[in-house]
Amino acid sequence: MDPIEFELFKNAIFSIADEMALTVFRTTYSGVLKDNMDYSTGFADAEGKLVAQGLTLPGHLGSVPTAMQSIMHHYRDDMQPGDVFIMNDPFDGGMHLPDIFVFKPLYHEGERLAFACTVCHHTDVGGRVAGSNASDSTEIYAEGLRIAPLKLYDRGVLNKTLMTIIEKNVRLPVQVFGDLRAQLAACHIAEKQFAGLVAKYGTEQLKLYMRETIDYAERLTRAALEKLPDGEWSFEDWIDDDGVDYGKPIRLFVTLRKKGGHMVVDWTGTGPQVKGAINSTLSYTKAASYTGVRSVLPQGIPNNEGVFRAIEVICPPGTVGNGVLPAACAARGLTGFRMTDCMFGALAMMLPDKVKAAGDGGNTGVSIGGYDAGRKPFIYVDFTCGAWGARPWADGLDGNSHMFANMASHSVEVTETEQPIQFLAYEFVPDKAGAGKYRGGVPFRRDYRFLEEEGVLQVRSDRRTHRPFGLYGGSPGMPSENYLDPDGENRTLPSKFTMTIKRGQVFRHVLAGAGGWGDPLERDPAAVLRDVRNEFLSPAKAAADYGIVIIENQMDPKATAQRRAEIRAARGWREVPKLQWHDPLPRETGTDHVFVSAGKAENVVCP
Amino acid sequence: MASYSVGVDVGGTFTDIVLLGSEGTIHTKKISSSVENYAQAIVEGLAEVFRETGLGGDAIEEIRHGTTVASNAILEHKGARTGLITSMGFRDVLEIRTLRMPRMYDIAWSKPAPLVERYLRRVVDERIDAVGAVQRALDPRDAERAVDALLAEQVEAIAVCLLHSFTNPAHELLLKKIIEKKAPALPCSLSCEVLPEIKEYERTSTTVLNAYVTPIVASYLKALRKGLDNAGVRARLLLMQSNGGLTTDAAAAERPIHIIESGPAGGVVGAQVLARAKHLPKIITFDMGGTTAKASVVEDGEVTRAHEYSVGAGIMIGSRLLSGAGYTLKVPAIDLAEVGAGGGSLVWIDAAGALQIGPQSAGASPGPVCYDKGGETATVTDANLLLGYINPAHLVGGAVKLNAEKARRVFAETVAAPLGMALDQAAYGAHLIAASNMIRAIKSVSTERGRDPREFALFAFGGNGPVFACGMAAALGMKRVVVPPCAGLFSSFGLLYADVEHHYSRTFRRLLRQSDPHEIARAWDALAKQALDQLAVEGFTGKRAHLRRSAALHYHGQTYELTVPLPDGPMDLNYLEEAFGREHEKTYGHRAGEDEPVELVTIQVVGQGLHEGTNVPQRVRPSRPEPAPPPPRRAYFGAQIGWLETPVLRRSDLSTPRAGPLIVEEYDATCVIPPGAKAELDTGGNILIELG
Repeated sequence: MDPIEFELFKNAIFSIADEMALTVFRTTYSGVLKDNMDYSTGFADAEGKLVAQGLTLPGHLGSVPTAMQSIMHHYRDDMQPGDVFIMNDPFDGGMHLPDIFVFKPLYHEGERLAFACTVCHHTDVGGRVAGSNASDSTEIYAEGLRIAPLKLYDRGVLNKTLMTIIEKNVRLPVQVFGDLRAQLAACHIAEKQFAGLVAKYGTEQLKLYMRETIDYAERLTRAALEKLPDGEWSFEDWIDDDGVDYGKPIRLFVTLRKKGGHMVVDWTGTGPQVKGAINSTLSYTKAASYTGVRSVLPQGIPNNEGVFRAIEVICPPGTVGNGVLPAACAARGLTGFRMTDCMFGALAMMLPDKVKAAGDGGNTGVSIGGYDAGRKPFIYVDFTCGAWGARPWADGLDGNSHMFANMASHSVEVTETEQPIQFLAYEFVPDKAGAGKYRGGVPFRRDYRFLEEEGVLQVRSDRRTHRPFGLYGGSPGMPSENYLDPDGENRTLPSKFTMTIKRGQVFRHVLAGAGGWGDPLERDPAAVLRDVRNEFLSPAKAAADYGIVIIENQMDPKATAQRRAEIRAARGWREVPKLQWHDPLPRETGTDHVFVSAGKAENVVCP
Repeated sequence: MASYSVGVDVGGTFTDIVLLGSEGTIHTKKISSSVENYAQAIVEGLAEVFRETGLGGDAIEEIRHGTTVASNAILEHKGARTGLITSMGFRDVLEIRTLRMPRMYDIAWSKPAPLVERYLRRVVDERIDAVGAVQRALDPRDAERAVDALLAEQVEAIAVCLLHSFTNPAHELLLKKIIEKKAPALPCSLSCEVLPEIKEYERTSTTVLNAYVTPIVASYLKALRKGLDNAGVRARLLLMQSNGGLTTDAAAAERPIHIIESGPAGGVVGAQVLARAKHLPKIITFDMGGTTAKASVVEDGEVTRAHEYSVGAGIMIGSRLLSGAGYTLKVPAIDLAEVGAGGGSLVWIDAAGALQIGPQSAGASPGPVCYDKGGETATVTDANLLLGYINPAHLVGGAVKLNAEKARRVFAETVAAPLGMALDQAAYGAHLIAASNMIRAIKSVSTERGRDPREFALFAFGGNGPVFACGMAAALGMKRVVVPPCAGLFSSFGLLYADVEHHYSRTFRRLLRQSDPHEIARAWDALAKQALDQLAVEGFTGKRAHLRRSAALHYHGQTYELTVPLPDGPMDLNYLEEAFGREHEKTYGHRAGEDEPVELVTIQVVGQGLHEGTNVPQRVRPSRPEPAPPPPRRAYFGAQIGWLETPVLRRSDLSTPRAGPLIVEEYDATCVIPPGAKAELDTGGNILIELG
């Protein structure tokens, strides 16, 4: 094969996938879709193997192949030019109900050569809670309209029955249809451009190049894996609860087995599926696994089937990582984010100087929905996250999306213009980042005031009892917080809940702080002083965590030396703990105790 | 007596000066930039031009200037020590940004450091709601406390951005009054004046950037004016703005936010004017230098503009899908797609054995291997040399000597051998892949916007643009290539063709079908008055002050807008709705049904100060005599055609049409015309190439 011609082909095919993604981006109606980049586009070969993904959301890598398998299973021998497929069933290739897939097979002279693929998170697909993403539904049937793999177009003819069923079962059909149009437009653009490639290369050469694009990604992935150490590493982490069985923690457990150019990510040992709607699908668990591994591989490996050949993901059915009917899964985002963090933990055991500590836990979901006086529905869906765990060479990022999603925050002013919501605060909160030689990212709070008569507030958060872990001596971040009317009653709310909210009430969410990396006593005092000056850290906390005593904006060297000696003695470390879920020294008000894990489940006590 | 205007483009390495006489003579000068004091090189360069031409400072009518002084201040974090005042609860809008990062899976990502550190961000206790009502009044004592705190920190500029100030600026104006009273000389930027548009992050970032560069731009312009005065040049000084229009030095010092991307704009505007003169309705400009290549579209004589971009994001972005790099600026700028491919881009082989180009660049130092200044990694320029496209011995009229032998050795050992290919094929491959990377830039301004590149002519400039132009045009199915005069310093040349232009915009959200056309017309009139007032100050009145109105709209519920022009005359909302529907269909291939309401989001006015008559001479002639033509040389045109003996010409040799293969070698650029193509010179001095 001519390496130059091939490179040119590769540029062309990935540029089609990107162009599809841009089409969706520019025409979408849904804020979730645009601001959270909660959609993906791709290109598969005639057998449905992913060749190129216009990737906007790491959480979707793995979604298209699983969905394609299902389409092939049902329609391999029943496909014609002009067909368009639609589906969202999590138990037949989908992820969760709001993610609607639209696929179009592409033909040349009667031969199927490829598929244009799109998946978009829609604002609402019906079900008991507006936004269709409640975390406290206990079976899929409550979560909205479930669409099996069906033909939306049959030989170019629109399936009006199906469209009517969708129209009557979602709260905002104009938005849903607008976004479906965006998906169809993306397929249309792919079809047009693909025809250009067929004309240029001819069908045989095209098939060859599509195969080679996959092989090329596999070679790159394997070459990068070869450079990592061989062996086996495990890691355990816990989700606080599923929002239904309050206080019952859910175990995540992963084992990495790496040999040569192959890696197995095995989730055996992960807890059974739960009643609450945080059950992940296998495709989503795969995406979390790939995200972890890819963070330690070089940049620039194409996203396709070739990557999946080198990274094998196992997760037994019936677990929270691979739910089976009737598992509710609308809020499975939580589990995906936390599985990614669990991957970081395992990879940190494998590569101590390459991987970050735990961040805030991934995004918190806040939705507020209801009807105004004129019975017009409103739905506000906000996902937010922002604190990265510290890295072995730098502080965690403050105010940056979790790596599993590449989401943006909605504009406060736009939200206030369009929704019955006013924000009272969106700013960093001091003293919550985990201490370390490099500190964890600083979290922020968001205060929402509700302006309609009555609505339903639904929140999905975590990292309340199980804090973001610190690595190699770094302290864990402080837990997340939820309050009602912080300037009045200031009632503490659980991490997951659904409640009625009235005009004028304020909901405050504070993200968890991220975990630190390395011994806090080794932190550059200038960095501590800078954090104090910027009010990310109080002087009291600087003394308590870092042993740095500050008097009139200056470090007091003598008092600092003394304070540090005291901390050292009180900790009594013989070596730095690899992993910390609790502060190294008890707090005056808390009852925290130290426990350390070498990455094996047996060592870990869950409170 | 002829009058002269001067175009000056200051880049990081070179300062390019072009002197154009009203009778059409052109005199060019390329000198090293004086990095410590950019104004000095301009003044010295002009003095040299005067010596060479025998002209004096009083012969100059106007100086038009493109500068990177503002963008450099941002990229190098050398702007003013700036303080920021925000609404209570929103101290960190600037630093939290939009949360998004420009690279996926990148565990080593660092966010760009905020230009105002947190301790210099102060809050005031006030609140204006979404419809502009004062919910919590700003207590002047609280405002004073915030200002005093920043003054105590000895800030050099203050930015103010309060929530919803674009609907009600009262609180920001109160802060301004207090700042003016306490520190009359301190530059102060209000968000309601800099960018009265919705979205707090974009408005805060833009306002902060304005404050951050104000002192440095103002003092630069003052120094330049003084240097010019001392040299006897009394001509007025106009600055190129990111939007492609010129502005006066006084206006630029006040609102420097508009001259951040001043540098690359000149070339696009020059291309626009030449395209209008040649009646080319559709061109794609392609500007390729040493480290990056940029593309943009000029359609029906109009440049396309982006309403938001990031300073310093540039080639950090691997894909247009990803954002979060650099510093967000929401002012109109010529919409340029940029890729990290230039003559200095490195040629390398990845872990899976594929040939790759850039984005890393050998830069000016060590430069390509053939420059023989220590570069040991093959570059795109080395490939072009091995293919016979560029002169194997020297560039820039002999100023840069080349070592072809070394380029050959390094390319053979590090590229051709590992690929198992012959040297010429490997070099040709590198050339093609560089071209295909740049094609992505062209596609992102054409096919990705619903435009078919085959309907466009490719307008190529920059030192390397004309080397690649024909091959890229052919790959895209484009039939025609235009290489303008002074192609290598066309960014300076283009400055001479620009008009004075000011852009005003305001958020004005209304559903069209429920709106009062008179109310909307009044809002536009207010912006138009601002534009006319500014133009009048600059001496443009009556027919010489020209206004253009446009609107950014979307279907209600969409989050991204499309901009459509509004014709003169009474406000016709039905027209606007229909024009938006057509544009949506043109861009995305579909439009919504009749029942979906269209929402107006932003109203915009562009005020243009027009020259009397045309400022483009019919014909330009270089004042410098052309050197003797170099001998023909062999050039490689791919495996099917192979090596061909190729005549090397001067531009003037094309006054009679010639067929390719040809190479046109000039002081500042080289143009490759492949076999099968025909080239000739038009009356304006452009090389026109028709591809076979």
